[in-house]
Amino acid sequence: MELIFLPLIFGIIAFFLPSKWVRPYGLIASIVVLLFSIDHLIKFDPENYVLMLNPAEVFPLGLTFKMGYDGLALVMVLLTNAVISIILLANWNRAISSNARFTGLVLLMQCALIGLFTSLDGILFYTFWELTLIPIFLILYWFGKQENNRALFKFFLYTLLGSLMMLLSFIGLAYFSPNFSYFQLVQANFDGKSVEAALIMGGILFAFAVKIPLFPFHTWQAPTYTNAPMAGTMLLSALMLKMALFGMIKWMIPIGFEGLVYLKWPVITLGGIGIVYGAIIAMKQKDLKTLFAYASISHLGLIAAGIMLFTFSAIEASMVQIINHSIVAVALFLCAGIIEDRLQTRNIDYLGGIAKVAPRFGFWFAVMTFISVSVPFTAGFIGEFILIKELFTAHWVIGITAASTLVFGAVYMLRAYQASMFGPTNVTVFADLTWNEYAVFGILTLAAVGFGLYPQLIIDFIKPSIKFTQELMAGDLTFTK
Amino acid sequence: MGKDLLLLTLISLPLIGAAINGILGKKMPKIIVGSLATILVFVSFLIGLTLFTGLDKTTIVHLFQVAKFDDFTLDANFQIDSLSIWMTLIITGIGSLIHLFSMGYMSHDEGYHKFFTYLNLFIFSMLLLVLGSNYFVLFFGWEGVGICSYLLIGFHYNDTEKGIANSLAARKAFIMNRIGDAGLLFALFMMLNKFHTLEFVEIGKMIAASPELYTGIAGAITLCLFLAATGKSAQIPLFTWLPDAMAGPTPVSALIHAATMVTAGIYLTVRSNFLFELAPTTKDLILVIGIATTVVAAFIAMRQNDIKKVLAYSTVSQLGLMFVALGMGAYTVALFHVTTHAFFKALLFLGSGSVIHAMSDEQDIRKMGGLSKLTPITHITFLIGTLAIAGFPFLSGFFSKDEILAHAWMSSPLVYGILMIAVTMTAIYMFRLYFLVFHGSFRGGDKLKSHVHESGLSMTIPLMVLAVLSVFGGILNLPGIVFHNAGHWMSHFLESTTYGLNQIETEHMDGNQSIMLMCIASIVALSVMAWAYLTYVKKQAIAKEDVDMTAWEKLSSNKLYIDELYQTIFVQPILWLSTTLSSQFEQRVLTNGIFRLTSAIEASGNYTRKWQSGFLSSYLFWMVMGIIGFISYYIIKSTFWN
Repeated sequence: MELIFLPLIFGIIAFFLPSKWVRPYGLIASIVVLLFSIDHLIKFDPENYVLMLNPAEVFPLGLTFKMGYDGLALVMVLLTNAVISIILLANWNRAISSNARFTGLVLLMQCALIGLFTSLDGILFYTFWELTLIPIFLILYWFGKQENNRALFKFFLYTLLGSLMMLLSFIGLAYFSPNFSYFQLVQANFDGKSVEAALIMGGILFAFAVKIPLFPFHTWQAPTYTNAPMAGTMLLSALMLKMALFGMIKWMIPIGFEGLVYLKWPVITLGGIGIVYGAIIAMKQKDLKTLFAYASISHLGLIAAGIMLFTFSAIEASMVQIINHSIVAVALFLCAGIIEDRLQTRNIDYLGGIAKVAPRFGFWFAVMTFISVSVPFTAGFIGEFILIKELFTAHWVIGITAASTLVFGAVYMLRAYQASMFGPTNVTVFADLTWNEYAVFGILTLAAVGFGLYPQLIIDFIKPSIKFTQELMAGDLTFTK
Repeated sequence: MGKDLLLLTLISLPLIGAAINGILGKKMPKIIVGSLATILVFVSFLIGLTLFTGLDKTTIVHLFQVAKFDDFTLDANFQIDSLSIWMTLIITGIGSLIHLFSMGYMSHDEGYHKFFTYLNLFIFSMLLLVLGSNYFVLFFGWEGVGICSYLLIGFHYNDTEKGIANSLAARKAFIMNRIGDAGLLFALFMMLNKFHTLEFVEIGKMIAASPELYTGIAGAITLCLFLAATGKSAQIPLFTWLPDAMAGPTPVSALIHAATMVTAGIYLTVRSNFLFELAPTTKDLILVIGIATTVVAAFIAMRQNDIKKVLAYSTVSQLGLMFVALGMGAYTVALFHVTTHAFFKALLFLGSGSVIHAMSDEQDIRKMGGLSKLTPITHITFLIGTLAIAGFPFLSGFFSKDEILAHAWMSSPLVYGILMIAVTMTAIYMFRLYFLVFHGSFRGGDKLKSHVHESGLSMTIPLMVLAVLSVFGGILNLPGIVFHNAGHWMSHFLESTTYGLNQIETEHMDGNQSIMLMCIASIVALSVMAWAYLTYVKKQAIAKEDVDMTAWEKLSSNKLYIDELYQTIFVQPILWLSTTLSSQFEQRVLTNGIFRLTSAIEASGNYTRKWQSGFLSSYLFWMVMGIIGFISYYIIKSTFWN
């Protein structure tokens, strides 16, 4: 349980610290949480569920307050903790990192995220899902651009709509399951009423589709990213979107499995459209952040489509790709942030020739560009390879659609890179990287290459989880602990 | 050392070089950076020779398992057999010569250490490509060489004049290659689904056991493989990147865009010969594309005035010729031409590099002339290269081309006829190039002339070595007319990895016919040479300016307007779509649509408030309606789908 309480306590303390302490405090606090989760990792046996909270009785309204993790959830917890530390490190040389409210909110966000990933109760899951909204909303509101009301409103409206749908689905689930324990929900008995299952699933899906975002629920994303501070964009893109993908794998599909037949192909189709649509729009964008936002739609469309196939390989590859996307998201938004920080603009029309003035940044931006186009030796290579393979196996049309990301990804990323870094020098002064930025790029590269060479590290954790879920769904295994 | 250790050393040496030069190169003296890179590749070559001499049966070296999935695994495995070692020798052999050349050629460049880092990294990726024992490792290398090619084409991205053009050329190469890569990806998927493995040997065994099971899927797989090959090996329709790739430094053009990387498509086809043998339709397609490419590229090369562009189109044309051989199932013949082409084309490119170096970076042949006296070694070696590619009797190109022509003659006189036209055009543009550069009077002005000088030893030694190879390379695979037993050494050597119609003995050609074809080829080469001499040296005809050209010359000099065509039918529409989607669909339909929905909810709230108690319930009402609408839409949709 310390996984949840530590960031909560750290977060609350942060609000009361004097500003000169806040910066080291935030980083150290996040690293402490990360170390604790690594401790959990060392003790972890992938074949088992670890229950952190497991009250025997059932509370009113079918609440069970079960919490715990399997390999899948633990990977997400580790990802969260690592990314939070990296985000704080990336912001080290920015004024925002000395802000007590900011650091406090980030740590609270971490708490909510860990809570979400370790929830084993439907209502808890929903509660944490909503809780994550508060810190991100405040970060966007306090630290974003001032003219962002409309974007924020859009973001809020969309998310609220999604959440309400999910709530309705969980209420509906009460008819099919004795309580809200995850293990009960997964065995929810629809008696072959697959339309009902699909309805329940559809409601949950709605919330996820908004958050991922799946085409055509994505229009909140680009304006929100553009107006958010760098740290906010990173949190949104590297972590919050992943809640939805995780939710699809762990909650949505196992619970509503009988309804999957109805939703499988529609979602895959939307994912496929997103892959092409996001990429095509990204090609002509001028604002780097907007460009990366649309690129993200393209990448996540692929993952979402892959998850809907719900085969072992597809889920494993999705997890590799989820981690890869977190790496890419932090990396690219850091690059955009560095450019904005130095030049007060992200419009590639006004950029150019930066590589000449700041060769080190030029080099690292290039490395990040290559990671994002999934070249060999990076995690994205394996992830994309298997995902596209699974889609191709399911239907060749979707396979070809998905493979277009290979070509289009290169088009928009190389354009973004070359237009900002090469060409006529419009830029005369550009402070090269600071130590913390080096560190972030270094860590991200190591992670991408590490998982690229040996993705089995991730797969070994995921496979037992999926097997376990499947056994649960089949009712082979009653979890009575 | 055991074979496996030798192999791993061979592969990792260039990677080590890249790592050292990449990290420390900036602080080290240039001579150390360059020598280190060169020596490491050369040591790889020596190890390759060791493996070559001890070659017996196919050996698989298992490094580690990359990932294990349900019904297949992805392994980092390597394979030692005649084909992979032969390619390794070409790559590291020609590679170390070109490294040596680059030490002189790039000596004034500030990105010296970066250049050698990329070059070593390229060799490493290329070795992965040819030494991998499965399509997965091959794909690793395949993508890897694409990246190195991108980095090296756009090497001078900071150049004040050509910087933007260079980086655009690099991007074009990368993107066009990626289209081909997608083809390779699909081929891999189909193989995984059909064979559940990507190991060459395993797939080969399965097919050999019951070929009739796989005839259908082989057609689809080979089509995708061939798409990949057209991307990497610059065949129609994906060939336009290669001429642009000449934006890279000249050693890069020699190494990547002439001798090694562009032959990856041929390697892929030869490696997959067991699949291609089951797919006669694909082979016919390869034949047709090969013929078309070789003719089109040769035609365009005739009126190019940039020394490197001529050679680039010549490369495309020669690669087309190799695909013709592949289309006829003559795998070893194609490899023979790969080998000799690596010798003489690397020679020609390095020669052109030496010329460009001497001319202070001028590449326009209209400004050259009479360089034979000013740069004697470059001249002689370039002449040898020209003679070899033009098919001058008894030089390496003569034999390898003759094998292809002989096969064409046997399969159909029409193919032979068309190829002869291409061969004639090859001789024309090469002798035009040679005479315009090295004979006549210098046309670049006195100031430039005073700078012209012969290159240093590090550049001329590779030229001389390659010249020797270009002359005697034919010995590798003599047609066996005179010394019957000494003939076709290379075909025999590669026999174990290729089956198909490689054995010329099995359909041994009549000796007289063979000699007749050789005579025809010799007569063509010699008469074109004489004609070019008369035109460009005696009559002093120089390359025409654009305004004086006749219609066909304009077509040739404008590259048949293929770039413009692609721009109009592919690039513009996609960019238009991008603008339209983001300004029209994204803004008007999706964004405003949402705000309209909000107002609708608000309006309905006002409306329903009259007969219901409050706002929330109407909100919920719309929620439910939303779910119902959403789900029913997909139910309808999915019933149509299934």
